[in-house]
Amino acid sequence: MQLEPLSHAGRGLLNRRDFLRWGGTGLGGIALASLLAEKGLLAAPPVRPLIDPAHPYAPRQPQFDAKAKRVLMIFCSGALSHVDTFDYKPELVRRHDTPLPGGDQLVTFQGGQGNLIQPLWKFKPRGESGKMVSDLLPHMAELADEMCFIHSMTAKSNTHGPAENQMSTGFVLDGFPGMGCWVTYALGSECDDLPAFVAIPDPRGVPQVGPNHWNSAFLPAAFQGTAFNADKPIPHLARPATVSADRDAATRDYLKLLNDEHLAENPYDTQLAARIAAHEMAAKMQLAAPEVADFSRESTMTASLYGADAANPLTARFAKNCILARRLLERGVRFVQLFNGAYAMGEGVGNWDGHKTIQSQYDIHAPILDQPVAGLLRDLKLRGLLDDTLVVFVTEFGRMPTFQKGASGRDHNPNGFTVWLAGAGVKRAFSHGATDEFGYKAVEKVQTIYDLHATILHLVGLNHEQLSFYHNGIERRLTDVHGQVITNVLA
Amino acid sequence: MSLLFAGLCGTATAADPLPPASARPVDFEQDVWPILERSCLSCHGATQQKGGYRLDDAAATLKGGDLYSPAVKPGDSAHSALVLIVAGADPDLKMPQKGDPLSDDEVGILRAWIDQGAKRPEPRAAQRGKSRHWAFQPLSHPEIPAGETHAIDALIDARLAAQAMARNPEADRRTLLRRLYFDLIGLPPAPEELAGFVADADPQAYEVRVDALLKSPRYGERWARHWLDVVRFAESHGFEMNRPRPNAWPYRDWVIRALNDDMPFGRFIKAQLAGDALGDDAATGFLVAGSWDQVRSPDPVLTANQRADELHDLVSVTGAAFLGLTVGCARCHTHKFDPILQTDYYALKAVFAGVQHGERVWGGADGRLRDQQLLEARARLQAIEARLAQFESLAGGGPPRPAVQARRNVERFAPRLARAVRLTIRATEGPEPCLDEIEVLAADDSRNVAAAAAGAKPTSSSALPGYAIHRTEHLNDGLYGNDHSWISHEAAAGWAKIEFAAPVEVDRILWSRDRLGRFHDRLATNYVVELESPDGVWQVVASSDDRDPPGGIVPKDPGPDLARLAADVRTQAERMLPERDRLLAQLPSLESQPQVYAGIFGTPETTHRFVRGDPTQPAEEIAPGGLSEFGGDWRLKMDAPDQERRLALADWIAAPENALTSRVIVNRLWQHHFGRGLVDTPSDFGSNGALPTHPELLDWLAGEFIARGRSLKALHRLIVTSATYRQSSAARPEALAADADARLLWRYPPQRLEAEPLRDTILAVTGKLDLRMGGPGFDLFEPNDNYVKVYQPKSPPGPETWRRMIYQSKPRMQLDDVFGAFDCPDAGQATPRRLSSTTPLQSLGLLNSSFAYQQAQLFAERLEGEADRDASSQVLRAFALALQREPRPRELDEAVKLIEAHGLPAFCRALLNSNEFLMVF
Repeated sequence: MQLEPLSHAGRGLLNRRDFLRWGGTGLGGIALASLLAEKGLLAAPPVRPLIDPAHPYAPRQPQFDAKAKRVLMIFCSGALSHVDTFDYKPELVRRHDTPLPGGDQLVTFQGGQGNLIQPLWKFKPRGESGKMVSDLLPHMAELADEMCFIHSMTAKSNTHGPAENQMSTGFVLDGFPGMGCWVTYALGSECDDLPAFVAIPDPRGVPQVGPNHWNSAFLPAAFQGTAFNADKPIPHLARPATVSADRDAATRDYLKLLNDEHLAENPYDTQLAARIAAHEMAAKMQLAAPEVADFSRESTMTASLYGADAANPLTARFAKNCILARRLLERGVRFVQLFNGAYAMGEGVGNWDGHKTIQSQYDIHAPILDQPVAGLLRDLKLRGLLDDTLVVFVTEFGRMPTFQKGASGRDHNPNGFTVWLAGAGVKRAFSHGATDEFGYKAVEKVQTIYDLHATILHLVGLNHEQLSFYHNGIERRLTDVHGQVITNVLA
Repeated sequence: MSLLFAGLCGTATAADPLPPASARPVDFEQDVWPILERSCLSCHGATQQKGGYRLDDAAATLKGGDLYSPAVKPGDSAHSALVLIVAGADPDLKMPQKGDPLSDDEVGILRAWIDQGAKRPEPRAAQRGKSRHWAFQPLSHPEIPAGETHAIDALIDARLAAQAMARNPEADRRTLLRRLYFDLIGLPPAPEELAGFVADADPQAYEVRVDALLKSPRYGERWARHWLDVVRFAESHGFEMNRPRPNAWPYRDWVIRALNDDMPFGRFIKAQLAGDALGDDAATGFLVAGSWDQVRSPDPVLTANQRADELHDLVSVTGAAFLGLTVGCARCHTHKFDPILQTDYYALKAVFAGVQHGERVWGGADGRLRDQQLLEARARLQAIEARLAQFESLAGGGPPRPAVQARRNVERFAPRLARAVRLTIRATEGPEPCLDEIEVLAADDSRNVAAAAAGAKPTSSSALPGYAIHRTEHLNDGLYGNDHSWISHEAAAGWAKIEFAAPVEVDRILWSRDRLGRFHDRLATNYVVELESPDGVWQVVASSDDRDPPGGIVPKDPGPDLARLAADVRTQAERMLPERDRLLAQLPSLESQPQVYAGIFGTPETTHRFVRGDPTQPAEEIAPGGLSEFGGDWRLKMDAPDQERRLALADWIAAPENALTSRVIVNRLWQHHFGRGLVDTPSDFGSNGALPTHPELLDWLAGEFIARGRSLKALHRLIVTSATYRQSSAARPEALAADADARLLWRYPPQRLEAEPLRDTILAVTGKLDLRMGGPGFDLFEPNDNYVKVYQPKSPPGPETWRRMIYQSKPRMQLDDVFGAFDCPDAGQATPRRLSSTTPLQSLGLLNSSFAYQQAQLFAERLEGEADRDASSQVLRAFALALQREPRPRELDEAVKLIEAHGLPAFCRALLNSNEFLMVF
């Protein structure tokens, strides 16, 4: 495959000076800036990244010094139970099998409440901090000292679709850009031969709202997340199977000729040069993407650290996704969203939606998640990547401390749940906020998803109130009109 | 909080008397507002509402915030929290927190205002917006500068001249025709069409093409896509389950047809809001085109939120699509920038309170169209059946005839003059016999003389009581199937008789139990057919005696028994069979009651204003109405029926004097012709939106639009015949430096083809584009019945997907894996303007996808079929089809070399990826 750039002419004609001269000024530039900020209606002017159409993923400066250069978001789809994992409630153990006070009036997603049920897995003190974490996720528990827990999260919706939307896009409705789109729109990437924002779906399928997590919605399509994983490469990356490398190169050479001729006729049209540059980047991606997904040079030690050699094929496949995540981050990909859990098989079959028989469901899912994520976190630390990578471990909402009436599982609970952060810019071995004595409602330092998003943006050097994009009458933000940075968790 | 409030009152009045109320009459605007503006509004105004309290809205001022409610008791300033707090009655709550406290005089003014009834003329923010903002003014009638033949050019040139700039000269004919085709119909001109235009010496040559393209049905297919973006149309529900909406497509077809018919824009609006009242049922698909959360729960809060979100979608899209207003922003509070009150939002919400997502029977004009198709199909089928019956065996004369069938039985006999027919049934396969139709055919022209429509009258021995679908009249009503049949009231017996309008010579009888083939019971197995001569003598002409014994159910209609016919006669009969089979297959869908995903209309639920948009905090009840600050201050009764509400809204929005409506649509049209609108924020004409680059032109166009009967086609014609539209795209560095985006239109701005015309154009160029219009769309994803729909792209997509992309059953949020990368909207939110970005994934998709490669091969096949065998000829033809020009010498030479070394598809693959192919200059 040829490495030679598709067009020299294109490069020469689209130099940065002309881009700045024509792209950033004139009436176009004025129109762009003519909205709220100019009228003094916003407190602070919106971030307007100067995006070179030929290099949309070129790195761009954050607004202020950023602790984190890149973000890894691990998303547990289906709502991972906080009371069975990270949120230890002795009172829940003591009051096991008694009614939740006021619970008889309470109608949650699937209906009425049974009794309070103690965690189904035993909590133990972990690490130097002695943080109580359950045995459901024993490998991750060992890393409790690396984690910064937020126990007082709240979500706006108690149904998966809108709540997953909110966790990834800030809005419960469909049609808003994913967080990775926002971050790469503002900051570009540090890697010019891989997509700036990669979404890694679970080997079992996509999460409940599928591409909503990574769709660019009203942001330019250049910032759409690219979905692929260790099993399934980037679509259309390889040349058609029946086309030889020589023939492919000959086609591209001729395409280059056509585009060069056309550009020579229209030398000032930057779009043309941008498309030529996109072909060049696509060609580079065709080399880099298979390389990033080629684990042949990973050591057997790495494989066993992540569990890629596990007997459970799902564990092994998810572990490979985790290795892929690390390899992407290593190469400077700005935002990686790693999914655990898929919905296609139905409620709780392939995800964390433990309504009916949470014990047996979670005993299946936990080993798939646990060692690979723990391995990933250890590996990031080992390689020094954790110093400038922010890891965020989330789920769309929590679960009830009760069992559902007539079932052996827990219903949805948006009133209190746990997420954790680790790595660049956040405290280690720290817990922020709390739910009530049963783990039902956040009561102490109550945080919203907006606050979490504001904090993540802050850590990559962006003010969430200024990172906005005009759409249908509003300077739209990831945090809508809400959100405050949770300063307490910052290192 | 009332307890706290009581405590506060006590403290204040006892310890520290309030400053006295001012004795003079106070005016809110002059006296009160300046105090609020200086001391209060920075924290309790439009931009923030600390403690949940705001003073720029009348209702909110009275109601109070999180701490005290009500804050103002009209007529009783001494017990109004607002006064007590600014007077310093609560030592823990100093107001204002920043700046000087209010003077005694100022407190006195506030007290007087409250004591005098706390009246304010109208919400302050609203009044400010209303008085000044350009888009809310009546249309101006700008003077057209002299010297230009076309008003558009005059106004564009005047603005350019002010910047010392000038327009480009006219584009060459090839560029111009290519631009016009892509713009109006979304497909390229055929090489022959271009050659004709280039050679056409008629001074009206261009206008002739404009008119032809506007008449082409391809026009509606192109422009409907623009409107579907504005109204967030997709054919799945979105959210978690995202299951398909198989009956949503009639709305898409309605939009295409409305545009092709040049439906006046007022009617276009009204039909979408209240088409059920106008006989345009599919049009109300607009109301429910957005996403809908199918996940249901007993949780009342979740359910209330879901319903609020559904109606929010409707209110927002109605405001944005037709009025260019961001009404949705007033859900939680009065609009911060535009004169849209929170109560106006809820008045609009009340308009839609009777609308639910779902399917209903598809009636109205669409239904009538379908009825027409049904009648035609039936008439045609009867004609074919009658002709086929000529080939049936004669009854009672020779070899045994086939066994009786539920679907179709023919009795043929020698021609005989008769005034009536009687079918007497002596045995059936089940209980009482059933017949859905008896047809008796005239010997000379095969017309059905037994039809009610021909004046024939049916009688019977008895009829099953209590069933409207099984009456004697159905014997000859022309309708097939069990739902239009007769059943006797005698066990396994009965007779049916039909008297003709006049004696006539007949030779065939067709009868059936269920011509549609669903029912096989109650079939007459032993019967006799008699004719009554004009003088009243009954004579047997056929019976079951010479039929084979009943042979059970035949799964498919066996058709006529042609096996025994002579070869030439048989061929003649067989020629009629394909059409007969097609009609038979078509009938059930035409006869069933089709459903359309266009909303279910019921009794409206009551509408309350929700405090901060929260459904768990209902406030006062709100009547259906319009936007009060935009001439929509009408209000209906609280219990007005659903349709009346939507009609009232439609009438108000569509009224020609509603200037905003016309400004918004002419701007949308302009945007799609030039890539950018005169207003760059096409669904936001409020004070947050962009200012028009050419306000006079916008108003002039809106005025012309109204003057021309709000015909969209007239407006298209007006725009594309201007010299501004016809100018070249040539870029000039000095002009680029002044106006890089050509917002002033010193050149025609080049554009990249959007996803849909790009796919359509590839198919058109390879010769595979299937131009079938309408009906259910094609699916780019593998079928899947999962509870939560799984979308797996078809690879490669087969010929059933080679229709125009507007006919794709477009799922919400799930983009096509090749063309989705070309800024195709996901239909989660409305997309009034598409971005045009450039990404490496676009390149990969167009080079390597199974679709792209398949089409490159098909293009090669086409070239082999249409050009001479030599590579040069093939390249010439390829350039003519794909780029509408001849190759340059170097392009030709290299192409020939490429083809000789690697074959024609290798060349086609490059050509379909080239910038020139994707760009419209």
